[in-house]
Amino acid sequence: MKIVKWIRSWEFSLVWLLVLEVLVLGAINPSFLNLENLLFSTSDFTHILLAALPLTLVIITGGIDISGVSIMGLASIVLGLAWVAGVNVFLAMFLALLIGVLAGMFNGLLVANTDIPPLVITLGTLFMFAGIATGLPGLLDALGFEAYGVAGFSAYLYEGITGLPRSFTNLAHGGLGWIPNPLIIVLAFSLLLSVVLHRTRFGRYLYLIGVNAEAAHYSAVPVKSVTIAAYGLSGFGAALAGVLLTSYFTSARSDLGSEALLPIITAVVLGGTDIMGGSGTVVGTLLAGMLIGFLRQGLLAMGVTSDVVPVVVGGLLILVVAIKLLLSAFNQYRINRRALQSRGSEKGGGSSVG
Amino acid sequence: MGKNADPSQAQPTPQPDSPTTPLIALKNIWKVFDGVPVLWGIDLDLKPGEIHALLGGNGSGKSTTMKILSGVYTPEEGTIELDGRPVTIDSPSLAHELGIYMVPQEPHIFPHLTIEENLLLGTGMERQHAQARIRQLAEEMGFDSPLSALAGSLSIANQQLLEIIRGLVRNAKILILDEPTSALTFREVEHLFERMRRLADRGMGLFFISHRLNEVLAISHRISVLRDGVFVLSAATESLTSRDLVRAMLPETSSTVHLQENGRTRPGELPLDQPCLEVRHLSGELFQDVSLHVKPGEVLGLAGLVGAGRTELARAIVGLDQNVQGEVFIRGQQVTERDPRRCQELGLVYVPEDRHAHGIFLDLPNLYTISASILPRLGRYLISSQEEQAIAQRYVEKLAIKVSSLYQPARTLSGGNQQKVVLAKALASQPHVIILDEPTRGVDAQARQDVYQLIHSLTDQGVGVLLISSELEEVMELSDRILVMFQGRVMAEFAHAECTVEEVMAASFGLQGDPQT
Amino acid sequence: MNRILRSREALVLILLFVLVALIGAINPNFLRARTLLNVVNSSLILVLIAIGEMFVVVTGGIDVSVGAITGLSAVILGTSLNAGVPLPLAILLTLLTGLVAGSVNSVGITFFRVPPIIMTLGTLGVYRGLMLIITGGSWIETIPPNIKAMASWSLLGVRVFAWVVLLIAILATLLVRRLRQARYLYAVGDNKDGAYLLGIPVKATLFAAYALAGLFAGAAAVIFVAQIGFVPMQTGNGQELKAIAAVVLGGVNLTGGVGSPISAVIGALFLTAIDSMLVFLKVPGFWNNAFGGAILLIAVYVDYRIRRTLDARQRQIRAQVRASKMPEIRPQPVTEEAR
Repeated sequence: MKIVKWIRSWEFSLVWLLVLEVLVLGAINPSFLNLENLLFSTSDFTHILLAALPLTLVIITGGIDISGVSIMGLASIVLGLAWVAGVNVFLAMFLALLIGVLAGMFNGLLVANTDIPPLVITLGTLFMFAGIATGLPGLLDALGFEAYGVAGFSAYLYEGITGLPRSFTNLAHGGLGWIPNPLIIVLAFSLLLSVVLHRTRFGRYLYLIGVNAEAAHYSAVPVKSVTIAAYGLSGFGAALAGVLLTSYFTSARSDLGSEALLPIITAVVLGGTDIMGGSGTVVGTLLAGMLIGFLRQGLLAMGVTSDVVPVVVGGLLILVVAIKLLLSAFNQYRINRRALQSRGSEKGGGSSVG
Repeated sequence: MGKNADPSQAQPTPQPDSPTTPLIALKNIWKVFDGVPVLWGIDLDLKPGEIHALLGGNGSGKSTTMKILSGVYTPEEGTIELDGRPVTIDSPSLAHELGIYMVPQEPHIFPHLTIEENLLLGTGMERQHAQARIRQLAEEMGFDSPLSALAGSLSIANQQLLEIIRGLVRNAKILILDEPTSALTFREVEHLFERMRRLADRGMGLFFISHRLNEVLAISHRISVLRDGVFVLSAATESLTSRDLVRAMLPETSSTVHLQENGRTRPGELPLDQPCLEVRHLSGELFQDVSLHVKPGEVLGLAGLVGAGRTELARAIVGLDQNVQGEVFIRGQQVTERDPRRCQELGLVYVPEDRHAHGIFLDLPNLYTISASILPRLGRYLISSQEEQAIAQRYVEKLAIKVSSLYQPARTLSGGNQQKVVLAKALASQPHVIILDEPTRGVDAQARQDVYQLIHSLTDQGVGVLLISSELEEVMELSDRILVMFQGRVMAEFAHAECTVEEVMAASFGLQGDPQT
Repeated sequence: MNRILRSREALVLILLFVLVALIGAINPNFLRARTLLNVVNSSLILVLIAIGEMFVVVTGGIDVSVGAITGLSAVILGTSLNAGVPLPLAILLTLLTGLVAGSVNSVGITFFRVPPIIMTLGTLGVYRGLMLIITGGSWIETIPPNIKAMASWSLLGVRVFAWVVLLIAILATLLVRRLRQARYLYAVGDNKDGAYLLGIPVKATLFAAYALAGLFAGAAAVIFVAQIGFVPMQTGNGQELKAIAAVVLGGVNLTGGVGSPISAVIGALFLTAIDSMLVFLKVPGFWNNAFGGAILLIAVYVDYRIRRTLDARQRQIRAQVRASKMPEIRPQPVTEEAR
């Protein structure tokens, strides 16, 4: 039960930290203690959570995906353009999500079939997807489509596509009582991913691959298809984030989420997931994501500019990883020393050979 | 069994009665890994001008000993004396400073740098000053490539020479050669030996690690045999025969597992069915033209040394390595596109040699390892936790795995129990034929017994077993037939009743025609 | 000579010329000296950053903070100039900033064993934040003219900056080929364990690599400020990704051990040229990133395929050698001795 306990204790600490954080922030700015306000403010960072949650699965397999931020923008602009082209907005949303899955699977295909480091692959797709996102309006223009509005397609690029129907934008602004929709979606997504991760064989395969991909292969685990699916999920999450942001800002833009990479990765790492793979939980990422999200809110409320936040988050990321590494090195040392102390009992002395 | 230390040595300075201070002496060295001792207080020394050969089977501890000498590992206990002075060697660069250089089995070449750079790297010497010296050494060693060529273009033989010259450039007094001849032609080996003799004549000391008995007998002044972390023999070469060496490496009779007590129910009875596994003319990178078959209920033992190609053969059979010619039939059905999954579906399972790297998921609960290959059977959408635990529990009992909890990480188990967990995983899919690669390596005596029991019960149920093992007694007792491989080819085949341990051991070393004692 | 012909650098360079010729055929304006020189000038920043990144990638690591380091250094430069610091001192300060920023990465990676991607991702955030803290969030709009003037100095029709960068590139290449410590970079990237076993100071080498990356990023900032004339908050954004793409394109192996400053230069030139080419083909600038990313992916994929083929071939050769050496059954003499 040891590892289970340990994980619990990390997540438990996160819960405590979260509560502590809210109290501290509340002391500085009482509006934090207002539950409705608190819940409402989560809409600011739910997109980070949506991308970080499935990214956890990818990192558990020992990989990484930094292209999510570009997929956000891509999904958004696809949604916008599709709608502008006359497609029903919800169908457009579905299209955007599909694009996210396909983009993710593209990453997955390359990761599974080549030995190119996932970091490099998703670095390239980070570029490529961002480029496609910004280039799409222009492409459609060149292909002869018509754009609404006087400014034409270039307006889409700079100002985003606006005028999306209320039924769609209500998604991000509506809610169930005090709980805003985005938060509900995040919680539902977390629940789903949690179940997948801990209770399905797909989830089990993720851990097996992350701990020992070779052994997984030897054990008849379908490593390739699991990998592709994991990256596909990550793409889906990013697309979902993009869709929600579009709804929230009531405008479809191709550059959504460009600043989100750091908080997303930090949320996963802070949540207890090992960057080298093999361990991690969805709940941890969720809690850590909220921790970072509220931290940002709090700093802003204290009058700190939004630019300082990355400093804190970046520093936090480094600190967490460094501490974890130091602890594990120390542990290994202890195990070896202990073993040597118990060696005398087994064989009687050594043999002398001159 | 063992021979006592024989002080007479062939020395360049003939003073047979005065003790010569050894170049280096290891005293009472203990080394522990992950809680398991690998060297049990060994003593070893090297005299000036001596070529001292080290022999030992798989897992005997010889490479660990050499790594301690070369500064890669530090012993948990014991002392090292250089020319009589105690020293601590805690890094390779320190070893170099002390005059110890190890020529690794796989030369460490930087293919994108020139030969000259490869030689000078890490020495702190300036190119201009050292160039003349390098050229001289290269000529002495008979190194024929131009020094400005890229090291990536060197042949293996020249790569090894490069490593030796690296040591000489560093003014090494002690050279350790780790299996230097495995990839060399006979002529290249002769060339190498000539160089070695020359270096020894100059007063250097050389450790020579090899499996090849005839080479060891030809080149060395003294031979020491290591077994299970302990030296069992050390004597002047001229007083030894290959038979002595073979005997020294055999396990002690006292630790032989007495299988008669747990005897097989059908000793020597050959099953008549179609083979559950058949391999025809399989050739790969490290083995050539291997054909074999395993019948249901039969144990085919595959004996040989490390490097004989047995594991590579197994990997090729089960599809872990592609680029293999030949045919594989599982239960009569030819399988051309092979991978572990496909083979498991057809009833063939492989239990790998290196359980840490390939078999077990150390940082996950034992349960996860056991169920890893049968997850699809445990529920359509969600894993049925009940079924999973039930199956795992069944195997825990069947194999007598000592676990405090199924949820403990596998890392906490002893070697024997870890191996049982890996076996449980393999058995969970209820295979028809199973390849066991060194199943009792690093496993305690009781667990070993349990594994043997398991093999018996498997064959009773009609499962075919291909047993790869370097433990001769084990292979002898368990197998219905034995194939011996040496350097990638099948050297000999024995039926159970007809062979002695020495014959099998001799064949493992490529020797033939060794008369029985 | 043979070696040069077979290298990746040559390949990319040839490809570059081919493309230039092609574009020139479509739109002859491209081939005017002025245009080509413009391409060179606009590539200088990326060239410097890429050379710095090359040191890191050669050791088998990665640094995604170099863009932020450039930004931070640019901010330091602008701020100090505006505060009246004399130009040479300000430039020195900028370079120092880059060096220190890179060294922070080094410390985390060598002493605390933080994986390079995490460390540099973290410092990316920290440095960007610092940029904004120092300037209070606003752009540095005015820069003293003395530095801006440097951008327009010319010698023989080519900007002095271009000459300087060329000089730096040549120097770097020479040093990397001759300087012993520079060879350590390659050894570590080629075979880290082997390097350690040979007594190479692996930690010190890695430290130097990341520090150098920072230094070059700082140098790039000098050119940036001089050329652009003000320091927007986005300074350096995305440059690290381009730098990595540049070095990979130019032939630096991501697993380490291969490549030279020339690779970085050629790769950077190539990427910048593509941007210009797209302009001349009347392709809107929005597509640059898409092409950049696609080219990077194609480059690493092709590299992967080449490596696989070469590996397979090598193994085949080895297998043949082994097969020919495998014993035919030869009886070995065994000495009989009475016991």
